[in-house]
Amino acid sequence: MKLHHILPVFLFLFHLQTAHAQQELLLHQQNGLWHASALNPAFFPSGKRVALGGPSYGLDAAHSGDVTYNDLLRKQGDRTFLDVGNAIGKLEPNNDVFYDQRFETVSLGLRLGAWYLQAGHAVRVNTAINYPKALAELFWYGNGPYVGQTLEIGFAVNTASWNELHLGIGRRFGDKLTLGARAKFLSGIGAMQTDDSRRQIRALTDSDIYQLSLATDYAFHSSSIVSGIDTAGLTYDLALNEIKNKFADNTGVAFDFGLQLQVSERLSVSASVLDLGGSISWKKNARYFHSQGTFEYNGIGIPGTDILNGTTDSLDFGAALDSLNDVLQFQQTDSEFTTTLPTRIYVGGSWKLTERWVLGAVLHHFNSPRRTATSVGVNAHWSPLKWLTVGGMYSVNDRSAANIGLSIVARPGPLQLFILSDNVLNAVTPYGSAAVNFRFGGALVF
Amino acid sequence: MAFKNWLRLLIPALLAIGLYSACNKAGLNDVEIAERSAEYAFPLFSTTIGLQELMLTVLNDTLSGDTIVVNPDNTMTLYYSGDVAEKPATDIFEFFKFPDAPIPVADTFFRFPFNVPDSVYIHRADVLAGTLNVIINNKLSQPITGTFYIPQMSKNGQVFSHPFSVAAGQLSISPPLDLSGHLLLSDSNTLDFRYEAYTPDGVRVVLPESSPGIPGMGLLLNGFTLSYVEGYWGYSEYPLTLDTIDIDINQTDLKGDVRVKDPKVIMTVSNSWGFPTRGVVKYLSFIGQDGLEYKLESSVFFGDSIDFNYPSLAAGEVGQTKYTDIVLDGSNSNIADIFNAQPVQLVYEVAGISNATKDPTIEGFLTDKSTIALRMRVELVLEGSVQDFGAEQTLNLNFGDYTDLDTAKIEEVEFKLVTENGTPIATALQLYFLDETGNALDSLFVGAPQFIMEAPPIDANGIAIGSKRTETFVQMDIARFDRVRQSKSILMRNFFTTAEGGLVPVKLLATQSTTVKMGLKVKMRLGGE
Repeated sequence: MKLHHILPVFLFLFHLQTAHAQQELLLHQQNGLWHASALNPAFFPSGKRVALGGPSYGLDAAHSGDVTYNDLLRKQGDRTFLDVGNAIGKLEPNNDVFYDQRFETVSLGLRLGAWYLQAGHAVRVNTAINYPKALAELFWYGNGPYVGQTLEIGFAVNTASWNELHLGIGRRFGDKLTLGARAKFLSGIGAMQTDDSRRQIRALTDSDIYQLSLATDYAFHSSSIVSGIDTAGLTYDLALNEIKNKFADNTGVAFDFGLQLQVSERLSVSASVLDLGGSISWKKNARYFHSQGTFEYNGIGIPGTDILNGTTDSLDFGAALDSLNDVLQFQQTDSEFTTTLPTRIYVGGSWKLTERWVLGAVLHHFNSPRRTATSVGVNAHWSPLKWLTVGGMYSVNDRSAANIGLSIVARPGPLQLFILSDNVLNAVTPYGSAAVNFRFGGALVF
Repeated sequence: MAFKNWLRLLIPALLAIGLYSACNKAGLNDVEIAERSAEYAFPLFSTTIGLQELMLTVLNDTLSGDTIVVNPDNTMTLYYSGDVAEKPATDIFEFFKFPDAPIPVADTFFRFPFNVPDSVYIHRADVLAGTLNVIINNKLSQPITGTFYIPQMSKNGQVFSHPFSVAAGQLSISPPLDLSGHLLLSDSNTLDFRYEAYTPDGVRVVLPESSPGIPGMGLLLNGFTLSYVEGYWGYSEYPLTLDTIDIDINQTDLKGDVRVKDPKVIMTVSNSWGFPTRGVVKYLSFIGQDGLEYKLESSVFFGDSIDFNYPSLAAGEVGQTKYTDIVLDGSNSNIADIFNAQPVQLVYEVAGISNATKDPTIEGFLTDKSTIALRMRVELVLEGSVQDFGAEQTLNLNFGDYTDLDTAKIEEVEFKLVTENGTPIATALQLYFLDETGNALDSLFVGAPQFIMEAPPIDANGIAIGSKRTETFVQMDIARFDRVRQSKSILMRNFFTTAEGGLVPVKLLATQSTTVKMGLKVKMRLGGE
């Protein structure tokens, strides 16, 4: 049957990763780091004039429930195996996968008196997937165990990756208030977005003699990610990432705004809204894939008269199986579409307790078409050495009320190196955790 | 201070190592699918066979003389018929066969005895067609004139006559004289010819012989046929038919016990011969599957004979056809017992006897269209019972991609056979999977056939109530499945048993049908390659 050819679909789901929204609470509270300016355009390292940001990678990913990376993937020698069987028992009837990835390649900041200027480039991926447990079961165990059951296997995907070029400006007003703004030019790399009004793939293996029926009204937009679906030869192959979008093919804009208020010598508060109005219009290589209909396969129907008359004297299962493969045919048309960037809001505050200790609190709100989430955290930073700061955080989010974060920031000379996670236990055992959050990077500040 | 400097390097290094390890496992490009056990279920085939189609096909496949009739109550009657043995009267009885050569008329009055079958006395004959040439060879030295008569033959009341005039020493042949429409009357199976010939001086003469022994007058008749003959038929025996009827419903190599309720042999005689005819059954036997002869005996026959109905001259039934149906059934014969032996052939020979009672008073008739036809047929209302009645069929088979499937990955195979039976017949089945040369590689069931189709309950009339669904699961280990999927054909062998164990007669209705369908589950190891 070569049903394993649907592997690309499944891998696609999980390659988009275990994830959730990029909250980065601890980074927001490290406003002395250059890379913190990504979360608030009003941030600029105190007392520095020039900042040269190096690569920084951040990942915030989560799978609903307790499914972990190690549940899905296991190492055996030098080989890695996808073993969905371990995860299926932990799946809910409906499951969410979130994945936010930010890779800042380079950035530059300048302080010119009361003005700040900044520019940079990043590659970002934002993904939200909702899939039914039945899909994983059908893929992994086949349809045999589900005879007589109607399986809803339609899944929803909103994913987009894009290049982000930004230019920002900030100004300090007096000694207390700093305002910043940033404009982003977005260049789409690839996107896939299911049509929420067409998300039905209903599979039934009849308990009679296992007649197969598939009712579909399923559609998705895609640019670059899926460029074709080939059902020939008993396979179900997706043409993935075969068409590359050029830089100016699919574009959009987004805006960030932020402020920082030094309320007193010890207390400062900040707020920012990121990716406001952000969207990308996908015009090139933009296709709409649609499968609609009811497909049934009842085996070879042999008219009784043909048997009796001897006009059908052969049971050719091979030919029948060939036709079975065409049950989920997609019609594809050129169709432009738009993806929107999730909007994020940060509100935070810090209280400088001593020269070595800083206490803080932060709230993060995330809003996307598929998900809205809010998290709050309280943190403490300790600087045992002038160039070393260690931070801890307790935060609550929609997944867990017991997240312990940890940050380590080293500032040897002009170098800033940092690694932090809002959930350090998951970060140090990312493959055994249902959620992963970490960010690391480096910069030179002068 | 040295410790602090060391930390300045160590901590960034640890950060870098941690970052590397965190990233190292993130790639999924080389991921493989772990080995697992998966089970796939899918349908193989389905078919619905109606009883009427089945029976029609059985008949069409074999004997051209077979018919199936759907009765108003949807019961079906199966007829196996022999050839119609039709005997025109002219095949049996030959009248007035005149010689090809001229009939010599030796004197002025000549009585010609015409040809009739033994014991038949013709009193009247109507000429349908024919011509007469009067041949006169005048050896006299003077011309003659005269008239030729056939006093027993007239047309529209006018006796047949033909005037002639022949010059001296001349031979005269008249043109063909049309005899159609003439009526011949006789009571002695003879025909009288008379002529009067005169010389110019009025002297009546007898035509002298043209040569020694050859009279001077002769008559040549051509194409003489009759449309009607009336007379007395005495006792006469003649053959009617010798034929066989194959009964293919029982023609199978498989053994079984078929009990047909109320089988019948019907002999139908259509008779337009206008005199009494008695059928004599010289041979009437079934040949059983065992090759033995089973004589059909019936109280219908008087001894071995039965009188056929006939159109009566006295009743004015000339031209009519009378029918005689002789029904041999369980009430008057041993046919029911014979059918329990599943006969495969009926052999019969029937002869006819006219006026078997030798009644001298019976006047009869024949027309040129009079025939006697006899048809023998076996009538089986499809109502009865069977136990383990066998039938078989071979189908080609192509497992397609399954032929090349790596069976090392297969753990288990399970066929699901479903029947939805609206007939009152249960079926035990065995499938034999055959290779190219027809050798059995394996069978669906280990050992004996299994009942894969059960019969629904029947009502008091033996009619099935509703439909009965039967599910049969056949598990195969890999070794067996490996053999099966290589098969090129299947021999399907069915053993039918009617409802209630074949002990109660059931009716087969044209509207009844059976659906047979099959699905397959394959449990196999996937991935981990």
